Amino acid sequence: MTMTTAIEVRGLRKDFPVREKGILGPRTLKRAVDGLDLDIPRGRVTGLLGLNGAGKTTTIKILATLLRPSAGTVRIDGLDAVADARAVRRRINLIAGGERMVYTRMTGRENLWYFGQLYDVPKADLRRRTGELLDLVGLSGAADTMVERYSRGMTQRLAIARGLVNRPDYLLLDEPTLGLDAPIARDLRRVVADLAAHDGTGVLLTSHYLAEVEELCGHVYVISAGRHLAQGSPAELKAATGSHRTVRLTVTDPTERTRAAADAFGATRETLPDGGELITLRHPGDMAGPLTAAVFEAGGSIGGLEIAEASLEDAILTLAERGEAGLAGPGSGRPDATTIRPGAATAPPEAATAPPEAATVPPGAGTAPSEAAAAGVKGGTP
Amino acid sequence: MNPLRHSLRVFAAETLKQHRRLFGQPLVVFSMLVWPVLQLATTYYTLRPVATASRAAENWPLAADPDRLLAFLATGTLAYAFFFSLVQSAWHLSFERTTGTLELLFLSPAGRLTLMIANGAGALLQNAWLLTCFTVAALTGFGTLSVSAWWMYGIVLLALLIPAVAWGAFLNSLLVFSRDSAFLYTILDEPLWFVSGVRLPHFALPAAVQVVGAVFPLTGSLLAVRGALLEHRTASELAPTLLGLGALSALLLVAAALILRVGEARARRTGALSLV
Amino acid sequence: MPIAWATAWRTWQMTRRAYPWTYAVGTVLPAALTIALAHLGFHVIGGGAVGDDFAAGSGTTAYLAYIVVGTTAFHFAVRLILWSAKALITEQRQGTLGALLIAPAGRLPYLLGFTGFAVLSSVLEFLTLGLVVAALGITVPVSSVPGALLGALALIAAVFALSVGLGGLMIAAGEAHISQNTVFIMLGLVGGFTFPRDYLPEPVRWFAELLPTTSAMDVLHGSFTGGQSLPELLPRLAVCAALTCAHLFLGLTCLPRAEARAVERTY
Repeated sequence: MTMTTAIEVRGLRKDFPVREKGILGPRTLKRAVDGLDLDIPRGRVTGLLGLNGAGKTTTIKILATLLRPSAGTVRIDGLDAVADARAVRRRINLIAGGERMVYTRMTGRENLWYFGQLYDVPKADLRRRTGELLDLVGLSGAADTMVERYSRGMTQRLAIARGLVNRPDYLLLDEPTLGLDAPIARDLRRVVADLAAHDGTGVLLTSHYLAEVEELCGHVYVISAGRHLAQGSPAELKAATGSHRTVRLTVTDPTERTRAAADAFGATRETLPDGGELITLRHPGDMAGPLTAAVFEAGGSIGGLEIAEASLEDAILTLAERGEAGLAGPGSGRPDATTIRPGAATAPPEAATAPPEAATVPPGAGTAPSEAAAAGVKGGTP
Repeated sequence: MNPLRHSLRVFAAETLKQHRRLFGQPLVVFSMLVWPVLQLATTYYTLRPVATASRAAENWPLAADPDRLLAFLATGTLAYAFFFSLVQSAWHLSFERTTGTLELLFLSPAGRLTLMIANGAGALLQNAWLLTCFTVAALTGFGTLSVSAWWMYGIVLLALLIPAVAWGAFLNSLLVFSRDSAFLYTILDEPLWFVSGVRLPHFALPAAVQVVGAVFPLTGSLLAVRGALLEHRTASELAPTLLGLGALSALLLVAAALILRVGEARARRTGALSLV
Repeated sequence: MPIAWATAWRTWQMTRRAYPWTYAVGTVLPAALTIALAHLGFHVIGGGAVGDDFAAGSGTTAYLAYIVVGTTAFHFAVRLILWSAKALITEQRQGTLGALLIAPAGRLPYLLGFTGFAVLSSVLEFLTLGLVVAALGITVPVSSVPGALLGALALIAAVFALSVGLGGLMIAAGEAHISQNTVFIMLGLVGGFTFPRDYLPEPVRWFAELLPTTSAMDVLHGSFTGGQSLPELLPRLAVCAALTCAHLFLGLTCLPRAEARAVERTY
């Protein structure tokens, strides 16, 4: 057994017994997690992505000692999550979004005090930390108010403070911003990034908001149906999935010739209500120039041009589709083939024009890939 | 990290949490004092016709006059309140399954049995002290007490507290892992007073009911409390009852620990907090 | 009465899908246990007899039959209150109160529908009590069948009248546990269900007279163990009818205010 400062997951498998009908029906095993390997080092935010039912929450609960793996090992700083569960619990904590998870008949401060006792946080530390945490989540003013009088957002912020009360070495975040107001979600992202960068906390994050993952995670694991699909930095993932850069070109006076020009690129066409036509082209390369030139030369008047940069969301969807196709085939076994090696593809250059999704993406998301790359990701196959 | 000190901290925190959760309710004094006293009055009036019957005195000398019947029923009400407050506390704890806080308890390194015992103790301190004061005052005022030595009061308190806390830990462990806690709550409310001899002396109960009643620590507690307070029994006379109570309490604690171990292992295997 | 019918039908459908049988056991079982308690006390302690003050207050020595009538009536009333008075607060907790309040329907037919259903289901549940009574070998004399039927109707009406006001109180306070249990325990003590009211102190007896259930219980006890005929029962029936109307009027007058208060409290 080697001592490492990381969560090391090897060959993790989890089967749940399920009964088909009623309580006396035949029992079958449902495999929720199937042979996962994960490394969650200190000082980095590691993402865990997948479609619904991919096994993300099960994986997180196993790491949190709430579930016992059916096979495989989970080591946290060298401690076994099953055999040394109690020691492991002192080092980790879990924040799950969207649920209430605090006591409503106690004040915010009392909630933190209570959980501090359960985690055996030394008295003086606890007093100081309670103050710091309440500050951090902006609840200092409501610290002595009963939680039942909190708004939903306040309750969720308290739940976040609770998850930090034992100053965990490893923080497991299961959809932490689910249902949070945008500014609070932004603050939480800032806190998480800070915990990893300055306190050296190892963070595992699952989220439906891929922009959030793109912003925070230095390394992302993509899983589907409990199996490993791909891993790498967000930039690497996007590059390796063929980066669906999207060009949208509006032609105000479409003719047979402009249509033929567009079709030659394999673009799709859509008639607009004003008689114009929208030409959409998804392509790995930068095709905006050639397409525009071809349409222009065919006599078309250009009414507008948009270039959408590839997003992590596109990459994940592509991976999931590929993964499902691959997993469905016989003998496809472990989908290691889709693992992305660093340098296998170069990250696409930043788009000159602002992506149209920019309005829905939190500030900073546009520059996330380069930030993530700078965070020093080792990436590659395990 | 001293394990004993950690356990004490968990105990104190859980007790206080339970106090805050229960005491936050408005007019909690109703369930603590008003309801038991009104219920006592109803029971007293309902049974009075049989206690004033001409042959009652020879059948049941202890309650031969109305005041002594009232004292008998009052001790029953007090002991029942002790044990039932733990049923209620377990019922509250079972709500933590749905609010998600139970998962947080299992996420923490705190000792599970400590949590269950402390949760019950919190409910007990919270619920029973007012009724205890009231009952002691009333019994003293009526002049129906018949106690062999002053320290028998201490024995009475221990005979109530220790089995009740063990009972609470057992129930908490059971309800944490049972899907239909409403059912347990129902069968442990009314039948509990019936089989434990809260409102009738044990000799009046059919043998089968007495056997069932022996399983519940409330039965033994009542024998000890009434023996010490109303029948002038000495500690040595009560020794068999007290020993039995101690053994039953130990058994309940062992059972609680076992349920917790099996239940948590199962929960970690199946992802569902239930025993079956 | 389309609203009453619709409410009763909806409740039946909801109950059929998820019958709250622990709830039913929770009300029938206490009644059975109280009867068993009286049975044991009567035989083992009283030696098959009761004190003279019971006969003086109740007009009978049939203690067990008296207890059977009183206990059944009491727990039946409790069950009705649990259904009718909690109807609105249950809607509130499910989040459907708003939908109900904006519907252009009166509250009286809605509550009547609820109570109609509750009476039906409770009667079925309480028939099981008959088994307990038969097993214990208790016979209940009936001196006036029409009196007993009218008494039962009077009790249902009286409980309904109480429930309207109580239901309003519950949604206004946003609380059911304390109010319902306080009402149950008070009713059991003062309402003349399981013992003659003569046992109670004078002021308590006068307070009991204000509740419509008290006179309904006089009619019920009178027509079973009391040996009274219908004409003898009529004055108490009239008192019950008058009090029921008064309570219903009060309840329906206060209900809109309680509803307004409930809406304000939750938003």
